[in-house]
Amino acid sequence: MLNYNSPINDTKNYSEIKITEIEPIIKINLRGKKRDFITQIGKSLTIIPPIEPNTSSGNERLNIIWLSPDEWMVYSNEKINSIENNYNLEDKLFNEISKVNFGSVTNVTDQWVMLNLKGEKIYELLSSGCPFNFNDFKNSKSSVTQTLINHIDVIIHNKDIYDLNLFVRRSFSNHLWSWMNDSVRFL
Amino acid sequence: MTKDLRTSNNKFIDQTTRVSFKFNGQNLYGFKGDTLASALLANNIHLVGRSFKYHRPRGIMTCGSEEPNAIVQIENDPSLTEPNVRATEIELYEGLEAFSQHCWPSVNFDIGGINNFFSPLIPAGFYYKTFMWPSKLWMFYEYFIRKSAGLGKSPTAPDKDIYDHKYLHCDVLVVGGGISGIIAAKISAKNNMNTVLLDDNPNLGGTTIYQDNDCYKINGNNSTRWLEKEIESLNSFNNLTIKTRTSLAAYHNYNYLLARENLTDHLNTNEKNSKIRQRLWKIRAKKVIIATGAIERPLIFNNNDRPGIILSSSIKKYIDYYGVKCGQKISLFTNNDSAYETAISLNNSGVIVNSIIDIRDKSNSPIVKQAEKLGIKTRWKHTIVNTIGFKKINSIEIMRLSNDESSVVDNKIKEDCDCLGISGGWTPMVHLFTQSGGKLKFREIDNVFLPDKTQSNQTNIGSCNGDFELDDVLTNSNKYVKEFFNISSSYYDNLDIVCSKEIDKKNIWLLPSDKPLGKTKPFLDFQNDSTAKDVKLALREGFKSIEHVKRYTTTGMGTDQGKLSNMHALGIIAETAGVKMGELGTTTFRPPYTPLTFGTIVGRNVGEFFDITRKTPIHSWHVENNAEFENVGQWKRAWYYPKKKENMHDAVQRESKAARDSAGILDASTLGKIDIQGIDSSEFLNRVYTNAWSKLEIGKCRYGLMLNEDGMVYDDGVTARLSKNHYIMTTTTGGAANVLSKLEDYLQTEWPELDVYLTSVTDHYATISICGPNSKKIVSKVIPDLDLSDNKFPHMSFKNALIDKIRCRVMRISFTGEHSYEINVQSSYGKSVWAKCFEAGKEFNITPYGTEAMHLLRAEKGFIITGQDTDGTMTPVDLQMDWIISKKKYDFIGKRSLYRSDTIREDRKQLVGLITDNPNEVLEEGAQIVADTNKKPIEMLGHVTSSYFSPNLKKSIALAVVKSGKKLIGQKMFVPMENKTINVTITDTVFLDKENKRLNA
Repeated sequence: MLNYNSPINDTKNYSEIKITEIEPIIKINLRGKKRDFITQIGKSLTIIPPIEPNTSSGNERLNIIWLSPDEWMVYSNEKINSIENNYNLEDKLFNEISKVNFGSVTNVTDQWVMLNLKGEKIYELLSSGCPFNFNDFKNSKSSVTQTLINHIDVIIHNKDIYDLNLFVRRSFSNHLWSWMNDSVRFL
Repeated sequence: MTKDLRTSNNKFIDQTTRVSFKFNGQNLYGFKGDTLASALLANNIHLVGRSFKYHRPRGIMTCGSEEPNAIVQIENDPSLTEPNVRATEIELYEGLEAFSQHCWPSVNFDIGGINNFFSPLIPAGFYYKTFMWPSKLWMFYEYFIRKSAGLGKSPTAPDKDIYDHKYLHCDVLVVGGGISGIIAAKISAKNNMNTVLLDDNPNLGGTTIYQDNDCYKINGNNSTRWLEKEIESLNSFNNLTIKTRTSLAAYHNYNYLLARENLTDHLNTNEKNSKIRQRLWKIRAKKVIIATGAIERPLIFNNNDRPGIILSSSIKKYIDYYGVKCGQKISLFTNNDSAYETAISLNNSGVIVNSIIDIRDKSNSPIVKQAEKLGIKTRWKHTIVNTIGFKKINSIEIMRLSNDESSVVDNKIKEDCDCLGISGGWTPMVHLFTQSGGKLKFREIDNVFLPDKTQSNQTNIGSCNGDFELDDVLTNSNKYVKEFFNISSSYYDNLDIVCSKEIDKKNIWLLPSDKPLGKTKPFLDFQNDSTAKDVKLALREGFKSIEHVKRYTTTGMGTDQGKLSNMHALGIIAETAGVKMGELGTTTFRPPYTPLTFGTIVGRNVGEFFDITRKTPIHSWHVENNAEFENVGQWKRAWYYPKKKENMHDAVQRESKAARDSAGILDASTLGKIDIQGIDSSEFLNRVYTNAWSKLEIGKCRYGLMLNEDGMVYDDGVTARLSKNHYIMTTTTGGAANVLSKLEDYLQTEWPELDVYLTSVTDHYATISICGPNSKKIVSKVIPDLDLSDNKFPHMSFKNALIDKIRCRVMRISFTGEHSYEINVQSSYGKSVWAKCFEAGKEFNITPYGTEAMHLLRAEKGFIITGQDTDGTMTPVDLQMDWIISKKKYDFIGKRSLYRSDTIREDRKQLVGLITDNPNEVLEEGAQIVADTNKKPIEMLGHVTSSYFSPNLKKSIALAVVKSGKKLIGQKMFVPMENKTINVTITDTVFLDKENKRLNA
């Protein structure tokens, strides 16, 4: 049996800040412009993809975050079985959207690594390397931003007050993890 | 410490806490709150350094960032020592060690001082003129010039200190914590704006906080008391952040500003450990209020640079803020009322004020009257013509100004003194305003440049905006801030202000002397030793632009950026050239406002964080197996895997041989991968690649070459057709991000009609490449259910498969010319699949090979690497890849350019192979190729792009680009190297297995 290896597989607890890698989480990239595309996502997931830039929608099981006018990412709130990578959700969406030419459905589960950041100092940590203005962002639950942290592309999803999910490309994740843990000591 | 030079306890300096420090090895002490400068003055030390060119003794001249003379080397540790630190800014801490710089053997006896005697022979432009001739001796001159150049010593060991960067966003940024900055910050905070107030001093309040003169009252209170209460009231605002010890370094477009915060420089050595020394704040502000104040100007007269000559306002700060007397018998020289405030403060502290020498005819302002009332003598319409005292001033010579003020008359008066305060008026600090792109205007009455037009959302208030009187500062600051915030009223609307007003003004840029100018030394730029004579010489020699004069005389080019000198230089140029100062303009104000340490600029991007690194999912296996890594873009790629005692050459030879003889395994996860979906995907590929894609069967792969609009090769890779409207494209490792951006750009701007969607999946897949004669056997062990027969699974096709329960895609493609398979699997299983393949390959001696062996193997087959064998100037035809250009397609990116007269030239550089006459001689990549070594100048026909010793061919092979290379196959050429010339023969690019038999073996 093949072993599943996530790049971080760790949790760090500091005063007023906790950083955890949460994997495996299914992530699917959706792209499309047609009306049928949006309608079908709504039907398939029972969630309407957000039209307003830098926002998200979701339910207990799934989140859809806005990435661009014709691009969204779906990710689950629950971990998936790592024994197999036969993703029903991917297959369902692919068959109902891509195969019928409404848009594209691409599995990006291992393209991104999801880190969860919790605690009152998370924005102070981010401000060490992120040019984004979090002043309004931190007060608006469900907001999303695509920005840089220490020159690394990330997607940040505001789940709740002082509770963020941060997505970083897998190949950069070790570097970002080290940098964040080094930064914490100066907060 | 000389007790006589300290006044009684004051509120700014804690005279109960002694702080020991060393200056030039001498043990001294000061008090908590002192700067190095105030502590030195308290110890009666004025001589701090030597000047840059003439090595003249120089002392403390100011009390702030404008200091030109008192720049010192601090600390002795080779990793912590720092040159050019302004003694006026460094706060005293226990254990501080400071040294004079630019002197040898000591500041008291400096051999370089001989330059002063030869000064008439070394005016501005001396170096430019003298060392031009004879030109061949320049290398000789240069050695000595470089040896004597520079100020201070650089640290020789890595910096142990920690630096940091942080971003900050605010509604309003107020720069400057003087009285105008404080009222601006309070108005802002009261109006619910998220406000940040910066000041470079340890305490807020500017000069008003130690003004303490009854001529200045606000709402019936002494202005100092009133301001103290205002500062205290700032603590009640939760939306106001105050950062002291923070100086603004740069003001860029769109209100992006950089500020340096000193966090530990003022702490004792043992308190600094493991703490951030300095932090660079990157600030985005919706609105910026600049309240940076003004700097006092010196006066330009003969020998105005001696230790003990200090700006008048600085003498006031030393006495009123630090409690330090700069001397016991002080003379003051002025053209304005400010010096009278200093005289009153000195008098109140028991210091003898010899006299005030004032170039004006009179002044009737209240502050002057107050000084007169105290019995302080004023010499109206007089000037200083000389100062005396080598290492410290001991007397001055004074004469009356002539009626036209161009010369001096009457008898010379000698006045003994141990300190001279000078005041030439005030220069608003408009540096930040101009850095932001603002345009200045000139005010004739007091010769100042002031902020005028700006594109950014900012306002300037206080004395940096030309308001020098207390009532103007308060009234106008309140008015401008209200206008800026678009509010009708503020807390400061009805202040009752009493202050002295300066009515009589006079300015003479270069004061006359009783000697001809050529016999005097009126210094303009104290740090770079440029004098008024130098500026006049530059004008005589034809330099007219202020920028040219600046560079010829080096005026304003020191570490202080001419904060004290620039206005006088402009004034003298304007006067001499007969133009108006306003028309002359200023030199460019460039960031940083004060020097930044390299550490602050770099922040924590050192060591492991120097650059971002990307790692493949299999990285840890490579580390465990002793791989050496090379940087490919930001990726860390396994370069080679040395075994015991192997060097790189040996390892690469072994790995290359193993891949051809049995089996090799390569981590190819770094290749860019783009998922392409949509009805028009085939048409899209037709447009981006040179070859045709519509007829590619599902399940097949094809190599493609992507061009730029200019027809030059941009990227290459294999694309597989997953279904009718679904492809997966691979790109080069380094080109992945750019290719995706370029393709997305085309889709959004050029071909919006195409129904195509791109998604990067580079990181989603790990790619494991297995090549060699035994690769099929290994893959069949790993995936037993997969039919690997050539009929079912031919070269350039792919199959979906399961390894255990994990989906993967196996592609039969080759970059080595060997029978090869690439297994693409989700990254989380990459390391596990790699290990499984490695285990399965053990019986075939499977050998991991790195990028170097991969390069060698592909070179044996003549496969190009984009970026190594191409350089943005090679077309597919140049690469002898004509076969990949579709003749049938209507269009593709770069097609038109392939038919330009330049791209169809037959004498373009073309890719060829090279074989050396001596098979063991390996060419250097980049080496030039020539046909005739005797021809002068030698004609270079091309260069080597890839070169290796092939263990499989047992000879040296190379790829090269050569003019008309295709026609030269079989011809002898030469590769001239430093000590020899290597004979080579031009060949075809394919060295091994031209018939591609191994691919299907």
